[in-house]
Amino acid sequence: MPSSSAATTTTNNGTKASFTVKAGLAQMLKGGVIMDVTDAAQARIAEDAGACAVMALERVPADIRAEGGVSRMSDPAKIKEIQDAVTIPVMAKARIGHFVECQILEALGVDYIDESEVLTPADDEFHVEKSEFNVPFVCGCRNLAEALRRITEGAAMIRTKGEAGTGDVVEAVRHIRTVKREIAAAQAALHEGGDLALRQLAREYGCDATLLKQTAELGRLPVVNFAAGGVATPADAALMMQLGCDGVFVGSGIFKSGDAAKRAQAIVRATTHFRDAKVVAECSEGLGEAMVGINVKTLPTEQKLAGRGW
Amino acid sequence: MVTVGVLALQGGFAEHLGLLKRAAHYLSIGREQRFVFDITEVRTPEQLAACDALVLPGGESTTLSLVAVQSGLLEPLREFVKISKKPVWGTCAGLILLCEEASATKRGGQELIGGLDVKVHRNHFGRQLQSFVQDVDLPFLTQGEKQKGAPFPAVFIRAPVVDQMLHQAGSPERTIEILAKYPSNGEGDDIVALRQGNVFGTSFHPELTDDVRIHVWWLDQVIKALPEN
Repeated sequence: MPSSSAATTTTNNGTKASFTVKAGLAQMLKGGVIMDVTDAAQARIAEDAGACAVMALERVPADIRAEGGVSRMSDPAKIKEIQDAVTIPVMAKARIGHFVECQILEALGVDYIDESEVLTPADDEFHVEKSEFNVPFVCGCRNLAEALRRITEGAAMIRTKGEAGTGDVVEAVRHIRTVKREIAAAQAALHEGGDLALRQLAREYGCDATLLKQTAELGRLPVVNFAAGGVATPADAALMMQLGCDGVFVGSGIFKSGDAAKRAQAIVRATTHFRDAKVVAECSEGLGEAMVGINVKTLPTEQKLAGRGW
Repeated sequence: MVTVGVLALQGGFAEHLGLLKRAAHYLSIGREQRFVFDITEVRTPEQLAACDALVLPGGESTTLSLVAVQSGLLEPLREFVKISKKPVWGTCAGLILLCEEASATKRGGQELIGGLDVKVHRNHFGRQLQSFVQDVDLPFLTQGEKQKGAPFPAVFIRAPVVDQMLHQAGSPERTIEILAKYPSNGEGDDIVALRQGNVFGTSFHPELTDDVRIHVWWLDQVIKALPEN
């Protein structure tokens, strides 16, 4: 028998949840679809359609956009209602930098916290110090450095920011392509100039050099990376998977469409069989009205959510 | 050539593929080159038909069974496990699917593949905040060897446990072997690793560690179960 080398795992006797356990749940969500829900009825539709987790929030991003105002963490009663309704993991959103909302969500026992730009930021200087929590965090990013800064703060899962509530996938595509391009650049720097070149690049990007090196060596982010922000169709989901995402968040795309249950099932199936065009064609058929959508190009900069956080 | 599939519908299948490849490499050293392993992803009935053995990874069991039904894989999987009786190993959600009955399922229940005559309790320890890593002793890894092996770092994530035997079948090859337990508070121990005939299950995630011992052990069992042996 080979000797045991449990370098990545340490025994955790009721103290801080180890990073293995935090990142491990995200690894179990891979290849799956996480759906935004606002109440128990929607959560059950999502679970029945094969969602691997649900994201509890007060209003879906499309409504946040339409109604405006300050957008906050959900009512705890709603979160409990959703937790009671389903057996799959329940995630919930907190405002950027609002560590007390995070403390509340941890006390409620949510399975993952999304420190999200979709809600109105509570701090325009600091994100939440996430390693202090036992509950794991997922955060959005537009580029590699932003992803690595969040991981330094303790995030155990990353997603693209995309542009939530638009049904336009263009920004999510831009963000995953940017991350990939920058990982390739870091690999080239390491290959050509070694540690010195990598440290220089880390300074330029504004991220931790050790993490950047780890990413370059792995050829991917050191944690699970999902697509989010504008995914509305099975084809969008398969596109993000083919671009290298580990799974997909769907926000307004499902419950702002004509037949939510059918569309939800179709997106789940397309995410599993993302390389099989015949299956993706089959599940794209007759889904009814997709969410109306907003072309991101027509959005004034101050209405874009992805610019929140740094 | 021995083809070992990993069900790749959803969940941590890439991690199993990685560790199985390492285990296959380990086994190929010091043996005559009789056993060449092909480790492959399984998403369709055709891919499953090519396999001599199968791993069902962790993930969400509700998602896995729904997608298996959608993909026309549920009946072929039942046949693989219960009629062809090929070696299968389920971790966490994979274990749930391999049990005949489950409690704490989603409303309306969920489809299972079956194979283990036991009842499994989903999310036994609770939510993510109750997930943990715990060293467990796995004596089956060192059976026949003099030295006791090092404990295994078992990663439990919203993990299930087997808490009820449904019936002890008469024939010896259908005996349920309890391979590891976790001390519970109260009545009896919770079963976290077990085997019944061709079906092996663990409620924790060896694929989330660097420790390749269980994968090596299982591939060795797969070789022993091959018809020519």
